[in-house]
Amino acid sequence: MRTSLQKKTRIYMAVGFSLLAVILVAFVISLTHLYVYDPNSTNAAAKLLPPSSDHLFGTDNLGRDVFARCMEASKYTLLVSFCGVFIAFVLGTLLGMPAGYFGGITDKFIMLISNSVMCFPGILLALVAVAVFGPSLFNVVWALGLVFAPTFARVYRTGVIGLSSKEYILHAKVLKVNPMRIMLLHIFPNLVPQLLPAVVIGLANMTLFESGMSYLGLGVQPPHASYGKMLADAQSYMTMAPWLIVFPALLLVIYVLGLYFLSEAARLSFGGERR
Amino acid sequence: MEQAKYIGKRLVELFLTLLVVSFLTFAAFSIIPGDTASVMLGPNATAEQLSALRSQLGLDLPMSVRYLEWLKGAFTGDLGNSYAYSQPVISLITDRLPVTIGMSILSLLMVLLISYPMAILSGRRPGSLSDNTLSVFGHVLFALPPFVLSMLIITLASAAFGIYSVGRYVKPSSDFFGYLGCLLLPSFCIALPKIAMTFKFLRASIIEEKASDYVRTSKSHGLSDVSIMFRHILPNSTVSTITVISLVLSDILGGSLIVEQVFNLPGLGRLLLAAISRRDFPLLSGMVFYLALITVLLYFAADIVSALIDPRMRNNREGTL
Amino acid sequence: MKNISAKLISGLLVLGLSVGLMSCAKKGGENVDPSLYGGDAVVGITQEPSVFDPHTVVAAGDKEILFNVFEGLYKFDSEGKLNPCLATDVEISDDASVYTFTIREGVKFHNGNDMTIDDVIYSLNRAKELVPDLAGISEVKALDDGRVEVTLSSPNSELLSYFTVAIIPDEVEDINATPIGTGPFKFESYDIGQSVVLTKNEDYWQEDLPYLDSVTFKICADMDAGFIELQSGSIDIFPYLTMDKANELDTNEFTIQSKGSNMVQIFALNNAVAPFDDIRVREAINYAINRDDIITLTMDGAGLPLTTAMSPVMGDAYDTSLDGTFDQDIETAKNLLAEAGYPDGFDMTITVPSNYIIHVNTAIALADQLSQVGINATIEQVDWATWLDDTYTNTNYESTVIALTSNYAPYDVIARYETGADGNFINYSNPEFDEIIAQIPLTTDEGEKMELYHDLLAILTEDAASCYLQDPYSTVAVSNRLEGYELYPMYVQDMSTVHLAQQ
Repeated sequence: MRTSLQKKTRIYMAVGFSLLAVILVAFVISLTHLYVYDPNSTNAAAKLLPPSSDHLFGTDNLGRDVFARCMEASKYTLLVSFCGVFIAFVLGTLLGMPAGYFGGITDKFIMLISNSVMCFPGILLALVAVAVFGPSLFNVVWALGLVFAPTFARVYRTGVIGLSSKEYILHAKVLKVNPMRIMLLHIFPNLVPQLLPAVVIGLANMTLFESGMSYLGLGVQPPHASYGKMLADAQSYMTMAPWLIVFPALLLVIYVLGLYFLSEAARLSFGGERR
Repeated sequence: MEQAKYIGKRLVELFLTLLVVSFLTFAAFSIIPGDTASVMLGPNATAEQLSALRSQLGLDLPMSVRYLEWLKGAFTGDLGNSYAYSQPVISLITDRLPVTIGMSILSLLMVLLISYPMAILSGRRPGSLSDNTLSVFGHVLFALPPFVLSMLIITLASAAFGIYSVGRYVKPSSDFFGYLGCLLLPSFCIALPKIAMTFKFLRASIIEEKASDYVRTSKSHGLSDVSIMFRHILPNSTVSTITVISLVLSDILGGSLIVEQVFNLPGLGRLLLAAISRRDFPLLSGMVFYLALITVLLYFAADIVSALIDPRMRNNREGTL
Repeated sequence: MKNISAKLISGLLVLGLSVGLMSCAKKGGENVDPSLYGGDAVVGITQEPSVFDPHTVVAAGDKEILFNVFEGLYKFDSEGKLNPCLATDVEISDDASVYTFTIREGVKFHNGNDMTIDDVIYSLNRAKELVPDLAGISEVKALDDGRVEVTLSSPNSELLSYFTVAIIPDEVEDINATPIGTGPFKFESYDIGQSVVLTKNEDYWQEDLPYLDSVTFKICADMDAGFIELQSGSIDIFPYLTMDKANELDTNEFTIQSKGSNMVQIFALNNAVAPFDDIRVREAINYAINRDDIITLTMDGAGLPLTTAMSPVMGDAYDTSLDGTFDQDIETAKNLLAEAGYPDGFDMTITVPSNYIIHVNTAIALADQLSQVGINATIEQVDWATWLDDTYTNTNYESTVIALTSNYAPYDVIARYETGADGNFINYSNPEFDEIIAQIPLTTDEGEKMELYHDLLAILTEDAASCYLQDPYSTVAVSNRLEGYELYPMYVQDMSTVHLAQQ
């Protein structure tokens, strides 16, 4: 049993890393500008060309090289999803841990706010954030963090409640150990198996949400691109120029899958359960 | 009596959540730039035309007054009239319900009908070839967000079959089967990643149940595998997956927004975006109110069901809400 | 001898009468072939109609539909010319302060009642209150000879194009709820979110028109949705397509028409904000960009390059000698920038409304082009309501891209450049311009007026008030099931000449 688990973990890790490697390569390319064509240079004579030996992934409706843009997009997709998740994670921790740990009024109050934010259409929240702070990437990320924080808070809360009946926690409480210590040193590490999947789902959802924001012009600003934005822009050309959809979609899926396999591997090695 | 108290408490929470949500909408509206009258009349409108429209719609009243008026109406069931469409908000919402609700129900059905058999097949013999294949398959599905999936499917369909007619929507009252047909593919796109998620949880729960004592005892008493599965394991597994299912359902409601865009269906998602773009305060507040109501009710229902089934949940800090 | 001459005279009379009748009717009225009549057409629209009162309507989409239901004393044709319609003639006084109209006889409203002088007077008085452009009317009265005399509070020779305002029956209480006019089609129904249906006016005063039994204006979510419906046949006519999409259509099934639409796409430079307050910077930008490339990128070539603030489709008011003033010249651009103190360029932002893909794409192309002279442009998308409020009304921006629309009247196109005018969102101010434009309403001689327009355009061009890009063609696809559709250089859907294609 144990060996097969180890094997499984290793396979998952291998798959996960190789998938992510694709994205990392794209990222490196975008940083080193190893392009034949510049991702932002428009070319009136080369609109909507299908993939060829010249333009590996074809060109878009402004004559820009799709391959170069896909590489460029990896930068913003990674940036947006990681920073967004980070903010959501931190906010979620600040909200969820005390809620679960202390219970009572704290719990009720925090959950009320958290649920309300969750029921609130994310787009509207994003619109407000951008309206107040301006349509920059920085603010997009903050908006994303806000929208997804309640999900993390909820995971925390459930997790903490589940653990609080465990003996070592009760011991620590009786011994009047500082609650912060308890939360950070004892509870947090044990929640990692639950948190990791939430992080991965968060990364995926964030990329999607950002593309939704692109419909309203709130996401990554032109001429920059993220996979989500490239997909949103390509919608009008679905039937005319499928290469505008296929390549960003493929890369997006690779990204999410890679993360997913890694998180599964992590969960298996941490949780030590047969799942 | 205790159950009544429990339900009563949850109702209060519901009420408070709705209040907070509507307040957030009001706050958002006060902050975002944009003047409803200019949006309705366009840039070529004169100052007189704008102020005429403003007094006609009551836009010259301060935001807080409008909010309180709306709130009063809301709790008596009148969600006000939309500025842009001059129609009661409620009828605008109910017009679009068939699309959103239809997709949600279809998606849920697909999730249940597909993930259950998958999970049973996998859970029966963990580690087998069928289990591993299905698991991997489930993982891949999970990585396909509905938005991407919809676009890929449409692209493929048009490449393979010529033009795929998205956007041809028929009302259920005029052609019920046509209506279902239109919603089938979009619902499938939404359902796919949820199927993966449900499958994962269900499978894990089935495996755990299988290892438990009562299963071994039942087997030693001679009960067949099949009957054990259907009479004991599945019901128990379902209980622990109910929370996931309610999460899935509310996710479906949210996920349908973008799929509606891609497939050009006249659902609530489109209406919400229109309300935001046109700064239509009554419509937006009404929709947010309605969406919040549905979400909270869903969690509420899920908690009640699991509390009723499993007494353990009741004592543990009222479940997940 | 007598018999022959009698016959000759009566023959000539008949001929004379028919010629006379034909000159009043439209082109399409010549063939009275019964096979042309009947049938229905569906037009795709992307904006929800909201107002049916022709005197309060503002949205272009609403006006398009109402063009078929209501008519005024004068009416535009597809060439942009004003023709007599419910009036047969107009006499403008020498000082341009009195317009006297001869009213056409035998016109019926959709409710069966005759159109009388009282209706005309009622409509003009109502329009005076509701339509800002007619606020200059001080008195409308009936003359003894059956004509209507309109007196203005101050002379204005440019008012005729506003007498296209609808004539409505004076007995109708709520014209918005029951839109009754004299047009070729009657208002039948409005199904919210779905469609507006118009049916044939059997008593239309132009006897041979219309051909169709009904017209449905079907609401499509957006252009993509409408395009799909067009392809599948559930709509027949779809205006405002992009060239990309139009090229995808099968030419055996569809006919594409394209024409300038009197829109001015402007890369607006806020004259009140540095460095755009410096004329050299504005000129430099004009020289740095390549309009043809922008037209190819954004409209697939379906656009008219603009040099100045008016589109050539405005006819005589436009001065063709201005063409080519700002042809791309990178060297000149760089020199001008250096002169102005920016030898290495500078940073700027372009604010664009995110819902107009054409403007977003234009901004992307502009940013790319401007980088050639060292100008680093960042693009900021905002949603439409924010753009209207922040950028247009409060002029809180550095530069922006938008298409300006106006009534089909040269005065309207450039009135916004007067100092302090309502639509002067580029904060342009030139006293010479203000002086000349004030003279136009007072000038009754057409030739003189056109000269004045040319002068104004010359000033705007010399000042490089902003950067004018193109008049994007309005492209419409018509199913080959129908014939006779005429594209107007303005927001109009004229369904009166449309008929089923002859087999």
